[in-house]
Amino acid sequence: MHASLKPKSAETRWQRALRSLLYGQDVNRNVKAKARLGLAIVAFAAIYGVIALRLAMFATASDGHGARRGVSQDPVATARPDILDRNGQILATDVKTPSLFAEPRKIIDVDEAVELLTGVLPDLDASEVRERLSSKRGFVWLRREITSSQQHEIHRLGIPGVGFLTENKRVYPNGPLVSHEIGHVNIDNQGIAGIEKWLDGQGLAALHMAGLATDRLPRPVALALDLRVQYALRQELVEARAKFKAIAAAGVIADVNTGEIVALVSEPDYDPNNPREANDPTRINRITTGVYEMGSTFKALTLAMALDSGRISLNSSFDARLPLRYGKRKINDFHAQKRILTVPEIFTYSSNIGAARMAVSLGVDYHKAFLKKLGQLDRLRTELPESAEPLVPKHWGELSTATIAFGHGLSVAPLQAVMGISALVNGGRLVPTTFLKRDQAAADKLAIRVIKPETADKMRYLMRLNVEKGTATRANVAGYYVGGKTGTSEKVVGGRYSKSKTKVLTSFTAIMPADKPRYLLLIMIDEPQGLPETKGLATSGWNAVPVGAKVIERVAPLLGIPPRFDLPKADQMLTVSAKETR
Amino acid sequence: MRLLNIMVIGALILAASFVYKIKFDSTLQVERVGKLASELRRERNAIAILRAEWARLDTPGRIEGLASRHLALRPIVSTQFDSFDRLPDRPPVIVQPPSADPIGAMIAPPDATGSVPAPPAAR
Repeated sequence: MHASLKPKSAETRWQRALRSLLYGQDVNRNVKAKARLGLAIVAFAAIYGVIALRLAMFATASDGHGARRGVSQDPVATARPDILDRNGQILATDVKTPSLFAEPRKIIDVDEAVELLTGVLPDLDASEVRERLSSKRGFVWLRREITSSQQHEIHRLGIPGVGFLTENKRVYPNGPLVSHEIGHVNIDNQGIAGIEKWLDGQGLAALHMAGLATDRLPRPVALALDLRVQYALRQELVEARAKFKAIAAAGVIADVNTGEIVALVSEPDYDPNNPREANDPTRINRITTGVYEMGSTFKALTLAMALDSGRISLNSSFDARLPLRYGKRKINDFHAQKRILTVPEIFTYSSNIGAARMAVSLGVDYHKAFLKKLGQLDRLRTELPESAEPLVPKHWGELSTATIAFGHGLSVAPLQAVMGISALVNGGRLVPTTFLKRDQAAADKLAIRVIKPETADKMRYLMRLNVEKGTATRANVAGYYVGGKTGTSEKVVGGRYSKSKTKVLTSFTAIMPADKPRYLLLIMIDEPQGLPETKGLATSGWNAVPVGAKVIERVAPLLGIPPRFDLPKADQMLTVSAKETR
Repeated sequence: MRLLNIMVIGALILAASFVYKIKFDSTLQVERVGKLASELRRERNAIAILRAEWARLDTPGRIEGLASRHLALRPIVSTQFDSFDRLPDRPPVIVQPPSADPIGAMIAPPDATGSVPAPPAAR
C-alpha cells in the first residue's frame, strides 16, 4: 500500500491530467487494479481448468476410440465354445471367415457394382443383388462366408460402399459321425439342434445379445462321448443296415455307473456342415426323439419288478402251457415251450405268457408305480433339447399290464430304456442320463436307489444266463463276459400290429462285463429283412445280436475292459453273489 | 523474486515437455498394443484354422483308411490281451563256470586237513 501511494504523490501534472481523462476523477486505481487482477486469475484458472479437463478427456477417450475400432472388426456371429469328446478330440470348432456386405446408400452406380460382383461370385443372383443394393437400407448382406481369395478379388475391384466383416463359422471336422448328438448351428452361429442348442440355452444367447460373446475364447465343453467308440459303433451299424436292408439302425453305449452316454448313433444321420439334410424326417435321432415298443427288452424290467417285490423268487414258476386270453386278445409265445416255466426260463425263452402272468400277479398299480420309479412313464430330459414323451395307454387295465410286461403297449424313447436297464444292473441305482462328462462322485450324488442290490445281482445273472443258453448266444464274445436281452417287437402299422411279421423292430441290450457291469450297449434295427444265412428269419437273435457282438469286440478294448478267460458259468455267478449278500 | 519467476517458468517448460513426452510415448504404446492385438487375433484365427484342419485329418475314418492302405494290421481280438500276473517268470541267468570241472575244482584243494598231512608235492 505504502509503496503504491508514494509514486502517486510523485506524479507530474501531465500524468494526473491524463489519468483523470482516462479513468475519471476520484477513482482509486489501486482498488480497481486489484479487482482486475482477481478477475484475470479466475479467468486464467478457468481456462487452465478447461484445458486440464480436455486433456483428461482425451486421455480416456482415445482408449475408448481404439476399443470401438476393435469392435467394428470383430466377428458378427457369436463365438461358440469348442465341443470336445472325452479325450479332448475336437468335435466342433470355430474358424473365422470373411462375409461380404454393402451399404446401399453409399453405392454410386448399382449396375456397375452388380456387374463387378457377379464377375467374382458367379453364383450370386444378379437380380436379387440389384434389388438389395437399390433399397434404402443402411446395411445389407450380399454373401456370407466367402473365401479369402474372393475377398482379395472383391477388394481389388474397389467398389465404394462394399465391405467385409469377419465372422465365426462353425465347422464339424468329423462330418456325420456325431451329428445327432452335437446338432448344428444356423448361419448366425446360433445353435438350432443338439448340444449346440443346449449351449445357447446355457446363457450364450444372452451373452450374444449383450454383445459380449464376440471374440473371447470361451471354455470348451467336454462331452462324455468317445470319438473312437462312436466311430466303431457307427461303422458297424452302417454295415448292418446295408446287410439287413433295414430302414434304420441305431445304437447307444452308456456307462451304467455314471449315466454318461459314451456313443450314440442313429443311422441314417446327416452332416452338420450341411444342416439342410437334417430336415429329412428319415434322419431323426431315433434314440431320443423316436418312441418305440421295446419288445422283450422290457421283460428285464418286468422280471426285476417281480424279483424286487419279494413275492416272486428265481425258483418260482409260471404256467406257460396255454396262451393267455383277454377277451378277444390272445397272448402267445414266440419260442413256445408249452410247459410250466421257472423264472430264469421265462427270461431265456423270452416267454410272453410267463412275463404277462408275472406282472398281472403283482397288480396293475404296482406295475405302474415300478415303471414310474424307473422313469419309463415320463419324458426323459437330458442336455439334448430333442426328446419325446412316452406313449402311455390312456386306460391302463390288466390287459395293458399284461402286454407292457413283454414290451407291447407302452412306447418309450430307447434312451429311457437304457437308463432304466442300467439301473437294474448297476446295483439298483437310477442315475440320470447325461451327455456331458461326469465323474463317479457326481453320479453318486444324483443316483436314486430303485431296486435292492440283491435284485440287481439276480438281473445280472439272468442277463448272463440268456447269453450262455438263451436267445442271445451269438453275443457270447470270448473274454468279455457279456450279458444281454434280445427284443423283437412287431411294428404298429396303421394302428394295428402288422400281420406279415416282416415289419419288426429288433433290439439287443447287452451289459459288459456281466459280473460287474461297466457299460450297457443297445442296438436297434428297424425292419431288418431275413437273409439266406439267417434262414430267412428277422428276429433279434439273427441280426441285432451278431451286430452287438461285433461292436463289443471292437469297442471293449477301447473302453478299457480287460478280457478275462477264467470266468465262472452263470450258475456259479449267482451262488457267489448270493453268498456275498447273505 | 525474479529468480523465483524464472525458476517457475523453467519448471513449467520442463513439466510441459515431460508431459508431452509421456503423451507421445503413450501414443506409441497404444499403437503397439493395437498392432500386437491385431497380430494376436490373426494368429489366433490361424490357430483355429489349423486346429480344425488337424481335427479333420485326425478323424477316425481317415486314420482307418490310411491304416488299411499302408499297414498290415488287423483288428485286435480278445485273445491277444493278457495280464501282467500271467507273465512267466524271468528265465534264470545261466552263468558259465570258470573252469571245465567246477565240482572237481571245489574238492581238489585244500589237500591238507588237520589229520591228513599234505602229500608230498608232485614233481
